[in-house]
Amino acid sequence: MKQNQFVHMNSERWQHFENNCADFEHSLPVDFAKNYRQICNDLSIARTRHYSPSLIDKLNNFVRLGQSRLYQGEGLRLRTLLNLFRQTFIQSLHDNRFYLLAALISFWGLALISYVWVILEPNAVYLFLDLESVKNIATMYDPAGSVQSESRGVDSDVLMFGVYIYNNIGIAFQMFGGGALFCVGAIIPLLFNSFYFGAVAAHIVNLGYQAPFFSFVITHGSFELTAIIIAGAAGCKIGYSLLNPGQYSRGYAIKQAGKSVLPLIVGAFIMLVIAAVIEAFWSGLDIPPFFKYVTGAICWFYVLSVLYKGMRYGHN
Amino acid sequence: MKSQGLDNKIFLKLPEGVSINLIPAGITVRSCAYLYDFLIRSAIVAVVALCFQLLGDTGVGLSLIVYFLISWGYYIFFEVRDGRTPGKKKFQLKVVQDNGLPATLNHIIIRNLLRPADSFPFAYALGIITMAFGKEFKRIGDWCSGTIVIYEDNFVHNEIESGTEIRAPEILLSTEEQQIIIAFAERSSDLSSARQEELAKILGKAFNITDESANEKLKQMARFYVGQEI
Repeated sequence: MKQNQFVHMNSERWQHFENNCADFEHSLPVDFAKNYRQICNDLSIARTRHYSPSLIDKLNNFVRLGQSRLYQGEGLRLRTLLNLFRQTFIQSLHDNRFYLLAALISFWGLALISYVWVILEPNAVYLFLDLESVKNIATMYDPAGSVQSESRGVDSDVLMFGVYIYNNIGIAFQMFGGGALFCVGAIIPLLFNSFYFGAVAAHIVNLGYQAPFFSFVITHGSFELTAIIIAGAAGCKIGYSLLNPGQYSRGYAIKQAGKSVLPLIVGAFIMLVIAAVIEAFWSGLDIPPFFKYVTGAICWFYVLSVLYKGMRYGHN
Repeated sequence: MKSQGLDNKIFLKLPEGVSINLIPAGITVRSCAYLYDFLIRSAIVAVVALCFQLLGDTGVGLSLIVYFLISWGYYIFFEVRDGRTPGKKKFQLKVVQDNGLPATLNHIIIRNLLRPADSFPFAYALGIITMAFGKEFKRIGDWCSGTIVIYEDNFVHNEIESGTEIRAPEILLSTEEQQIIIAFAERSSDLSSARQEELAKILGKAFNITDESANEKLKQMARFYVGQEI
């Protein structure tokens, strides 16, 4: 069959197919898949019959349009993200339990070391923090200060919410992305934060301000610290897949690692949003610390039980 | 799977039993698209920050949230819809999976959360180096999520202008040679007549046609090959 005859025979069908591809308002017609396969067939016929390059390009383009319409993703839906968090996240905790375990141990271990160090040797806090931030922390958690007083109105609640969202989730994402640099970008912030956290806690105990500090930190800390650790572990997995790809090529190994840690970073994101809400609108409330310790205990219990069940069993 | 020549087309086999070709987009055009997106993002952030300034502390908090959403969510929001941010749309680029299928939410999230690695230590230096080492121009985020950025040209198929005369060539030509003549005739509607004749003269030498009639004669041959009915 000559090219022109082929074109004339099929051009009406092609036109129809192209219109279907471009029509995003209606759902796909029932016979779309059949038409698509027919177009694929046309392309291979055109290739084997050595029709002109421009006709082949045109059919190639139809196939591309058709497959991108046929295999289109779901788009950005909140429900997809929540499902990812509720179901796949737990499974992913189990799949990556060794990375999580390593991150948990190193974070809490180093925090404990720096805590004990600063308790025993109060001046050691200046090894971890500079003079200015030590002063800031002292004024922030001063029982006579501003953290938990009525002077902090709705205005500054929203301000702090913005700061927590921007800062904390930004750090988590930076750690996740930086982890691809052979883990370095994840490990350094993780260790830095653990030293910092331990040193600050000890310094505040040394000053005798522990009541406002721990009642402030305990509730949102459950979600926030765990999420940061999870993000660090996820980043480390990507970096480690490059360092030690095992039996795969590095390109394939990093792809598999990315697939496996995606639920972790989505989970960490959702946990950090929860933490930011708590931190901005609950932790700073001027109520007896007892309530805060109770909610803190509930949150810690919830987070740790999810973490334990996920890492141990991989399901709820 | 043929003609993997000077061009950088990649051929992908589909489950439908054909292979299609895609053209991965290189560093320059992607940088342009990035800058375009960057301008849009900066403009949005600036406008929002200006408006929220009136609200005092609440406004600062809100504009920080917006800044966070724009800097991390802009790409995810647009690319998850059809693989194109405004910048990519402007330069006719598109993100797809490396098997040619449209990228889903999972791919888009991974490829955009790995931007810190690509932008290490500054100005996407590592990403650019990584892109330069592969023929699919993948940055680290693309490697990790399994995506590529391709050109999405809206291809126009010119039919050969129909004429009254067709001419069978005196000598037998191979398939590739026939295709060259057909391609010349198909392209000629995009070319000026002077350029057509210039090209026809080069092509005509093979048939010992060196005078002005080469252009018309070649088109007549092309009509013969595509099987135009008189």
